[in-house]
Amino acid sequence: MAITVKKVDRNVTMTLWERSYIPEMTRGMIITMKHFVVNLAGLALEVVGGKRHRKIMTIYYPEENPVIPPAYRGRPALVRAENGQEKCVACGLCEVACPPRCISIVGGERENGERYPVSYTLDGSRCIFCGLCEEACPKEAIVMSHDWKNLCEHDRSKMIYDKETLLYPERNLKKRLNVIREKYFNAKLYHKPSEKD
Amino acid sequence: MELIIFYLVSSMAVVCAVGMIVAQKPVTSAVCLVAVMFCLAVLFALLNAHLIAALQILVYAGAIMVLFLFVIMLMNLREKEGLVSAHLEKVQMVGVLALGAPLLWVMSTAKVFVGAGGDVKDLAEFGTTRGVGALLYTEYLLPFEIASILLLAALVGAVVLTKIKLR
Amino acid sequence: MGIAEMIETIVKIGFIIGLTIGFFAPMLAWVERKQSAVMQDRIGANRADFFGFTVIGLLHSLADAIKLIFKEDFIPRGAERALHTLAPVIAVIPSLIAFAVIPFGGKYTLWGHEVNLVIADLDVGVLYVFAISSLATYGVVIAGWASNNNWSLLGGLRASAQMFSYEVAMGLTVIGLIMFYQSLSMVDIVAKQDNFFHWGIIWHWPAFVLFLACAVAENKRVPFDAPEAEAELVAGYFTEYSGMKFVMFWTAEFIEMVTIAGLCVALFFGGHHVPFITDAELAGGFSFLGPNVSNLVAMLIGVGVFIFKLVALLILQMTIRWTMPRFRYDQIMKLGWKMILPLSLTWIFIVGVGILTGVMPSP
Repeated sequence: MAITVKKVDRNVTMTLWERSYIPEMTRGMIITMKHFVVNLAGLALEVVGGKRHRKIMTIYYPEENPVIPPAYRGRPALVRAENGQEKCVACGLCEVACPPRCISIVGGERENGERYPVSYTLDGSRCIFCGLCEEACPKEAIVMSHDWKNLCEHDRSKMIYDKETLLYPERNLKKRLNVIREKYFNAKLYHKPSEKD
Repeated sequence: MELIIFYLVSSMAVVCAVGMIVAQKPVTSAVCLVAVMFCLAVLFALLNAHLIAALQILVYAGAIMVLFLFVIMLMNLREKEGLVSAHLEKVQMVGVLALGAPLLWVMSTAKVFVGAGGDVKDLAEFGTTRGVGALLYTEYLLPFEIASILLLAALVGAVVLTKIKLR
Repeated sequence: MGIAEMIETIVKIGFIIGLTIGFFAPMLAWVERKQSAVMQDRIGANRADFFGFTVIGLLHSLADAIKLIFKEDFIPRGAERALHTLAPVIAVIPSLIAFAVIPFGGKYTLWGHEVNLVIADLDVGVLYVFAISSLATYGVVIAGWASNNNWSLLGGLRASAQMFSYEVAMGLTVIGLIMFYQSLSMVDIVAKQDNFFHWGIIWHWPAFVLFLACAVAENKRVPFDAPEAEAELVAGYFTEYSGMKFVMFWTAEFIEMVTIAGLCVALFFGGHHVPFITDAELAGGFSFLGPNVSNLVAMLIGVGVFIFKLVALLILQMTIRWTMPRFRYDQIMKLGWKMILPLSLTWIFIVGVGILTGVMPSP
């Protein structure tokens, strides 16, 4: 969707009716009072046990959770493929792409010759949730997950995530994966990784 | 009961008046002056002159003294500044005593003033808004109007002065 | 003064203090939170609980009180200790004693004893209110000066300039009303409004609008809260206040709201009178209960009606507070001196002409 700009005409000359202040003020007060009455009635109905029908936007946080949109960028996660192994091949592109340089990878080689990260450390206290690692990754191995709770700690050393913490099964990350596929496909940047490589 | 209040309030007024003169900081002086005004208003109220009491608070304590405080705060006078040298202070003291002594003598023989305001015909209306208003608009109409014209002139003058400064 | 009158006065004073400090101040703190929340599609404070009971957020007032009582009472370095402590007291007392001349009921005869439901029936009632409310400026000015803080000082300066500008206008807005009722005594003014068509709001609604604007400006609430503008001056004149002294400033503001509402009810909305029913008719309706009990019932109804009108005006003030954005400071001054003052003078002239020509029949 293209960004639309709403142009505001700032050189409005007010009519005498508007400048006399009182009628426009009354209009504003009627609007706020309407909100008040409607919401109050809605809340009263809810207490009585009626259907939850209200315009109130508040989320009772610990009891209720906000609805996370699919394109939400939470804590980065490593994708664990169906066979139980990480998809990451320790190419180091995310390490380079990361603006605050919070990723550090030590690569290794399996017996069958596949590269894999021996250790993959992500410093959560430095991560800025920009999603550039996800963009750089050729293997869809690191994805911004929808993890947003309990990311804060009193101690920075506890915020350094190792490979085991970062690994998520692929099916948990489907939503975000779909989003990035759609995004990059539409931008003609995306080439679906073939099964061969 | 009234006597107790009278002595209480008047002694408070005297204490505050002394405090106003002695105080080191201008704001403390101003606050003391407000307290004096307030005590005077209570004394007026005790004399059954409610209108004068209300006007005393409204005009002097409420408006004029706020302006004083406003100016003091604008200039941000924290301490007494050394504007007056010790030598001048002595001269001031002598001046105050020289002018104050005859004033005290006049006030001690203040009986001369009793009966001067004997124009109040109806004692029941004394001090009420109706009584004061009737006197103001009948017997003292001319001085009242002259005073109002004087005030108007001052008002216009103030406006003109600020306009000149702005230019 | 006899014992009976003494007891009566003490009961009346107790009623007013209980109503303002005991009931309306904490209730308004709650209403301010809840009404603003519901108005802005939120829920508002509701988490303070007592064994799981939240009582729709009412306990927050209690929790606030407990918190603020145990909070450190901080006096900044370089502040005037005495004046810093005195200022909140000066702020609270005028707003409380201004209520003394507002009648919250009529005159009733109960068991041979005449009860006049006003603490002091002063001949200069309206002037007394203005005089006392002008003293409230000092609390603010002194608080601003004594805190040794530039924000406080600026807040105090703004407050003093604003308050004495609007005091003039506020005094002038009710002159027309005083001319109409031909009395300065609040009791007289209320007594003359027993006919619905003599209510102040019927004849003097422009004066009511101007008066309410001035009164809100006097109380320094939004849209006239430039003295404590959070965005510019932290909290204005009470930036350096904490604990109970801070509470006293807030209490002063809430009590002043109640006083403004009471003043409006007495001057413009017929006090304790029910529309189209005079006091005598009201008492006559309960005459089957005997003269004393019927008078008592009429008295209770009168006080109830007064409080009902009071609450309605409080809600109006709250709505204004949560609807309007803040004026810029020069706009406040311009509105006060260039709009409200000339308009109120014009209104005095119109009322004078109206009374002289008989268009406005003075009761």
